[in-house]
Amino acid sequence: MEAKDHKKHQKKLSGPKAVRKKNKKQQEQGVEEEKDERRRNPKAFAVQSVVRMARNFHRTQDLKAKKHHIPLVDRTPLEPPPIVVVVVGPPRVGKSTVIRCLIKNFTQQKLSEICGPVTIVSGKKRRLTFIECGNDINTMIDLAKVADLVLMLIDASFGFEMETFEFLNICQVHGFPRIMGVLTHLDSFKNNKQLRKTKKRLKHRFWTEVYQGAKLFYLSGMVHGEYQKQEVRNLGRFISVMKFRPLVWQTSHPYVLADRMEDLTDPEAMRVDPKCDRTVCLYGYLRGSYLKNRSQVHIPGVGDFAVADVSFLPDPCPLPGEQKKRALNEKERLLYAPMSGVGGVVYDKDAVYIDLGGSHANQQQEEPRPTTELVQSLIGTHATLDAKMAASKVSLFSGTAAMTPAEVEDAGDNTSPSESRVFDPQTQRERRRAVFADEDEEEDESEGDSEGEEEEEEEEEDEGEGERESGSESEEEEEDDGAESEGEDNEGEKILKGKEEQMTQGAPVPVKRRRVEEEEEEGKKGENEVPAFADSEDDLELSEGEEESEGEELETEEEEEEEEEEKERDRDSERGGQGVADSGHCSEEEEEEDDDNDEEEEEESGASEMGEDLPKSSNGVKGSNVKPEQEKMEEEGILCFETEGALRWKEGLAQKAADVFLRQQQTKVNLRKLVYGTVAEEEEDEGEDEEELGGLFRVSRPEKGKRQRADGLDCTRYPPDGTHDWDQEEMLNSIRDCFVTGKWEEGKDAATLLKEDEDMYGDFEDLETGEVHKGKSEKKEDQEEEPSGEEDEDEEKEEEVMKVYDDEEERKKARLEKKRRLKERFNSEYDEGDATYFDDLKEEMHKQAELNRAEFEDVDDDLRVQYEGFRPGMYVRLEIPAVPCEFVTNFDPHYPVILGGLGASEGNVGYLQMRLKKHRWHGRILKTRDPLIMSLGWRRFQTIPLYHIEDHNGRHRLLKYTPLHMHCGATIWGPITPQGTGFLAVQSVAGTQSGFRIAATGVVLDLDKSVTIVKKLKLIGYPYKIFKNTAFIKGMFNTVLEVAKFEGASLRTVSGVRGQIKKALRTPLGAYRATFEDRLLMSDIVFLRSWFPVSVPQLYNPVTSLLRPVGEKDSWTGMKTVGQLKYEQGIRRQPEKDSLYKPVVRAKRHFNPLHIPKQLQKALPFKSKPKMTEKKGKVPRDLQRPAVIREPHEKKVAALLTALSTVHSYKKKKARAKQRLQHKGFLRQKEQEEMDKLKRQKEARKKMYRVMGQKEKKQQKSSLRGARNDD
Amino acid sequence: MQLELGCSNNNMASYNLTYEGCNFFRQRLILSTLSGKRVKIRNIRSKDDNPGLRDFEASFIRLMDKITNGTTIEVNQTGTALFYQPGLLYGGAVEHDCNLQRSIGYYLEPLLALAPFMKSPIRAVLRGVTNDQKDPSVDTLKATAIPLMKKFGLDGEGLELKVVKRGMPPGGGGEVLFTCPVRRCIKPVQLSDPGKIKRIRGIAYSVRVSPQIANRMIDSARSILNLFIPDIYIYTDHMKGVHSGKSPGFGLSLVAETINGTFLSAELASNPQGQGDPVQPEDLGKNCAKLLLEEIYRGGCVDSINQSLVLLYMTLGQQDVSKVQLGPLSPYTIEFLRHIRDFFQVIFKIETQNQEEDRKGGEKVLMTCVGAGYTNISKTVK
Repeated sequence: MEAKDHKKHQKKLSGPKAVRKKNKKQQEQGVEEEKDERRRNPKAFAVQSVVRMARNFHRTQDLKAKKHHIPLVDRTPLEPPPIVVVVVGPPRVGKSTVIRCLIKNFTQQKLSEICGPVTIVSGKKRRLTFIECGNDINTMIDLAKVADLVLMLIDASFGFEMETFEFLNICQVHGFPRIMGVLTHLDSFKNNKQLRKTKKRLKHRFWTEVYQGAKLFYLSGMVHGEYQKQEVRNLGRFISVMKFRPLVWQTSHPYVLADRMEDLTDPEAMRVDPKCDRTVCLYGYLRGSYLKNRSQVHIPGVGDFAVADVSFLPDPCPLPGEQKKRALNEKERLLYAPMSGVGGVVYDKDAVYIDLGGSHANQQQEEPRPTTELVQSLIGTHATLDAKMAASKVSLFSGTAAMTPAEVEDAGDNTSPSESRVFDPQTQRERRRAVFADEDEEEDESEGDSEGEEEEEEEEEDEGEGERESGSESEEEEEDDGAESEGEDNEGEKILKGKEEQMTQGAPVPVKRRRVEEEEEEGKKGENEVPAFADSEDDLELSEGEEESEGEELETEEEEEEEEEEKERDRDSERGGQGVADSGHCSEEEEEEDDDNDEEEEEESGASEMGEDLPKSSNGVKGSNVKPEQEKMEEEGILCFETEGALRWKEGLAQKAADVFLRQQQTKVNLRKLVYGTVAEEEEDEGEDEEELGGLFRVSRPEKGKRQRADGLDCTRYPPDGTHDWDQEEMLNSIRDCFVTGKWEEGKDAATLLKEDEDMYGDFEDLETGEVHKGKSEKKEDQEEEPSGEEDEDEEKEEEVMKVYDDEEERKKARLEKKRRLKERFNSEYDEGDATYFDDLKEEMHKQAELNRAEFEDVDDDLRVQYEGFRPGMYVRLEIPAVPCEFVTNFDPHYPVILGGLGASEGNVGYLQMRLKKHRWHGRILKTRDPLIMSLGWRRFQTIPLYHIEDHNGRHRLLKYTPLHMHCGATIWGPITPQGTGFLAVQSVAGTQSGFRIAATGVVLDLDKSVTIVKKLKLIGYPYKIFKNTAFIKGMFNTVLEVAKFEGASLRTVSGVRGQIKKALRTPLGAYRATFEDRLLMSDIVFLRSWFPVSVPQLYNPVTSLLRPVGEKDSWTGMKTVGQLKYEQGIRRQPEKDSLYKPVVRAKRHFNPLHIPKQLQKALPFKSKPKMTEKKGKVPRDLQRPAVIREPHEKKVAALLTALSTVHSYKKKKARAKQRLQHKGFLRQKEQEEMDKLKRQKEARKKMYRVMGQKEKKQQKSSLRGARNDD
Repeated sequence: MQLELGCSNNNMASYNLTYEGCNFFRQRLILSTLSGKRVKIRNIRSKDDNPGLRDFEASFIRLMDKITNGTTIEVNQTGTALFYQPGLLYGGAVEHDCNLQRSIGYYLEPLLALAPFMKSPIRAVLRGVTNDQKDPSVDTLKATAIPLMKKFGLDGEGLELKVVKRGMPPGGGGEVLFTCPVRRCIKPVQLSDPGKIKRIRGIAYSVRVSPQIANRMIDSARSILNLFIPDIYIYTDHMKGVHSGKSPGFGLSLVAETINGTFLSAELASNPQGQGDPVQPEDLGKNCAKLLLEEIYRGGCVDSINQSLVLLYMTLGQQDVSKVQLGPLSPYTIEFLRHIRDFFQVIFKIETQNQEEDRKGGEKVLMTCVGAGYTNISKTVK
């Protein structure tokens, strides 16, 4: 053995690990670790500016908040559907090659032709569905709506093409899935530099369209017609780890990208009328949200349909089971592409199709290995499946003979022929194979499509009755009995019924039954008569159900109970087996019947043991307390003669449910069945006291009970039935604990809560006193420990050890518990301190998501689909009736078939008000009332939009054209779609046109059933009589009534005079009196400006591109614009004569002289008075001065003189300026001198005054002294 | 019920639902309005001596017409058949004179169900009988339905129910103001624990009779309820003059509130003037208290008159699991559940819960559903 040379260890040279190692090494060597910058030089990092710091903080917070998305409830299923990878690009760019390479990369299989979606398992938790998108704009629009990931192929040698941008814009409108660019044809570049440049250029353009840093792949060169392995692998790796953000439309609507289509139409109907509507089955993974049965779907390119039936099938391409492995093995790398003819065996609900090669045998040769695996596994299941189906079905009739095929056919004939074809052989098979009874119930889709359903429903009904245990059973029996005894009854149905009974009943049981019934009959004395008519199918089914229930009830001996139990068991198994793949509204009841039946059984046995003497005619299911009321009901004589009205059973149920529930009977009533159960009620009433007159006529009586129910009082109040006597102490006690004063539950009462708190906060030290308080629990433990130690001394050591051990355990547990609680509390407190609104919201959403997951997790799938609907990730089969035959005859798998589920009232039409903007790349502006093809929601349709703009007062004014670079409103008649949904518009989907095809984009704002768009309307009138400010206007209206309607409306004339309509005149018709703010002229034209409501044309024309013949699917044309029609037919518009331009001819206007009244003239000042001066006469000729004409010499002289005088005047001016300046200086000097003089004088005066003052002082002093002296 | 596929308008496939009889008339119309499905009702009292729609039903149809836009209603000549094609819910200011045969509660209940899904917040003024013996009274709805709506995220300023005037049958003359904000979608709820009753409140009203009557009712009601809880307060509401309507009468409405915010109610009104024997206020008070005990016995997180409302809101929620615990289902609720299945394809998981102890009333029912993901398509976005 040669030792494998392992890959050498590569030392990390960078990254955290390398740094850590380096540091360690340095430490070991004793080198001082280089300190952190911050620590080494703290001053440099000190706060320099508080403001800047605050700003920084704000900025970081802003950035953080920007990153938040609105938290959504995570509704992704546990097993998600495959991710839809749409590969788009212009023709010949290599789309198919990429898909082929990727498929080969993931599954090691080679597909020669790719047709329709291809589903593969790409990893342990991920599946991919590849689909190629052609260049038809219809396909592009449809696929953009369902895509999770778009691989956008770009021919690098050519550059971007229009399709690429068109698709990007479509994606943008419909929610923007993840987009990855792939550059191909890179090998055509010979020059490396040019290659690099091109790459960079394309990359940056791509980034501006998608987002900065969007992933762009480069697929350089092909090798043997395939891309290079490593590059494909990288691409695949990227795809399989990509994460997705949920898109609003996709997550709120269920949708299926159909990967298989079957035509279920009855061949006979097709033969008779080849163009008849088809019933079609479509298969695919359900995505988006829950799909309810019987909901509406839209198939883009076909139309709206109501789903007749939905069922789920086993996953054809399942994810591998749980393992610890890292990679998938070969077996798990599955591939499923029925449209491409891969995966030779395909399942249906009721059949298995095996592809025998034929047209695509060569393909199968290409990929022999996995296909056979798949086939083998499928074949294996197929065999067991059959057995199981058979087993499950047969157990229903255990103890009875199997039906013969002929009878089955008889039975089948009653149903609609289209269904029966599919169904019949199946039933045969089922019934024959009675032997394999107790197999499991994995995957049998045994029931026929809709007939199966019916059958089940009816069965349920019957069984339901059986459980509902009222008097009805016995009566039914009687009916049956009657049928048996009157076996010669004319009605074929009856015979059939009788037959069936004979067939289905085992030998011993019927005998007994009959005996019992006879007894009953005797007891009842002819009350029981044959029901005059009953639904045949019902009867058929009835017999089965009844027998079972009757069997239970009537067998009172214990030996028979064993039989019964067997029966029960059988039935249980049957029920388990039934309806794995059943849809909608039926099979859930069966599940519950099991329980019910069991209960019944128990009760019944109890009853029978208690009193065997109970009259056998009354069914002992209920216990005796029920009986009286039933009898009462019988006495009341509730009759029901008519055929089953759909409502009847329901109404009864309501009453009954209420009664039954209130009475709190011992038997548990299955509420679900009472509410939703499809239990036929009429049997209860029927045959009770039907009277026949002469065996032919029946007494017609008003059905009191039924009428009361259907026409009862519509009231939500629910009055008590009076069984509870609230005067009694025990009744009062029964609700004692509903009050806070009552007893609380364990763990919720105050004592427990208090104790818990004590446990947590028990230990504390009083800091003031220094006293230590200890928790109770610990004290107890201490106390316990001590005595135990003392007491147990004498006892055996073992025990002691054990006890200690136990104690230890307990204490440990307690400690752990305490720790946990403390931790919890700490966590909660810690979070609380830091928690934001965002966190709270997120937490709430998370909780809801958990609940959503957990609620129905352990419910069986077929029951679960009824509560939730079909959940995304399931492989479903949708049966759709009344599809146009062209869908099938012109089916082309290259075009995607999408089933988009519609929400409540999305199937209706109404007016949609939207905000629209003409796309900036679209060449022309759009015209109002030109038909436009819109893509909105799932739909593509042609409609006629009206453009409008909102005025400042909220008025929607009609626009003739869309504005160039602005949003405007648009109103269409179309499908109701939730507000906020984006849409795009194209003018035509046929062929390829030059230029950018997307004409406009926008969003839905409002939905309504009426519109408020108006356009301006100017009514014109002419004055025919003018008084001062009043004028009579004619020509605006035609009748008095019209005028009356506009009384008080404001008017305006061309010259700007404003006015108001006052009142209509008698003649001429339509004339009126109006007042104005000034006198009108006869030449004035009067306008009335008003707004006229515009109606939106109700055109909703779905684009039915999928119905076109193969090869012409991209040539759908709808309604043409007027312009197109005119162009095609060469019609030119005749302009109105008024609109033509003519030369303007204006009459000369003549103004009268201004006349000023004399009085006024007098009052005027002289200046304003008209002067009486005569006009200046003409100057006589002799006084006119001749013009002087100079000779050249004179001219020169004159010029010189002017020049000289100019020079002179300049000099003069200069001199004067100089002089002025001088004078100014002189004045200043003089002033200065003056000032100086004044100063001097002042000083001199000051001196003088001082001297004088001193003198005076002296004098005074001397005088004072003198006076003293005198004294 | 019967389904028929109609493709009448423009390639749109939608179901026609057909029902019979006049019972559950309101729920059919409101569910039709919310789901956008058309409804046909046949055989309305067809075998009755006085066939066809009654005045109060016609009045209800008129109310529906007022709050919607684009609704088509066709009634045949005898009034025994009705075709209803729903429009969009408009809301806004609405005034309606309710028929006196039924009280305002009859008209208010559907309004409560529809109000959050209008285009503009509704402000409805309803005139007629405020309290009668058939329908839930305005007081009870105010005390129970409004707090219930708050749990679905319909809180805020706009939600209000105000009794402006009180009117007793047969004369009427009452007036109620109801305003409600609009929402784009409704929150899911989990109401599985009703909690224990902490207080009992109530209103004893009397119009055009002696004000003492209210006190007499209160005393007698307290005498029974005091056995359970001391926190009882019953308001007396004696309206006078123009606010007292046209007929005399009195009544009592009691509400028990739990610590988890559940409201259980019971009410009783006196016989209308000139019909039946006069009722003693003491008897009425006692009987009403007993009715409240019965309601408490039934229990649940929602009282019996609001069962259908809570189930409707749960159905119309987002696609999340909602749960509610109810007492025994009333016949009206049971029919409502069936109608929900017909209109929205939503089926409830119904589980009976047994009380482990005996002293907490009767059996409860836990209803679980996944919302239909309904959004308000009438509301305008700007």
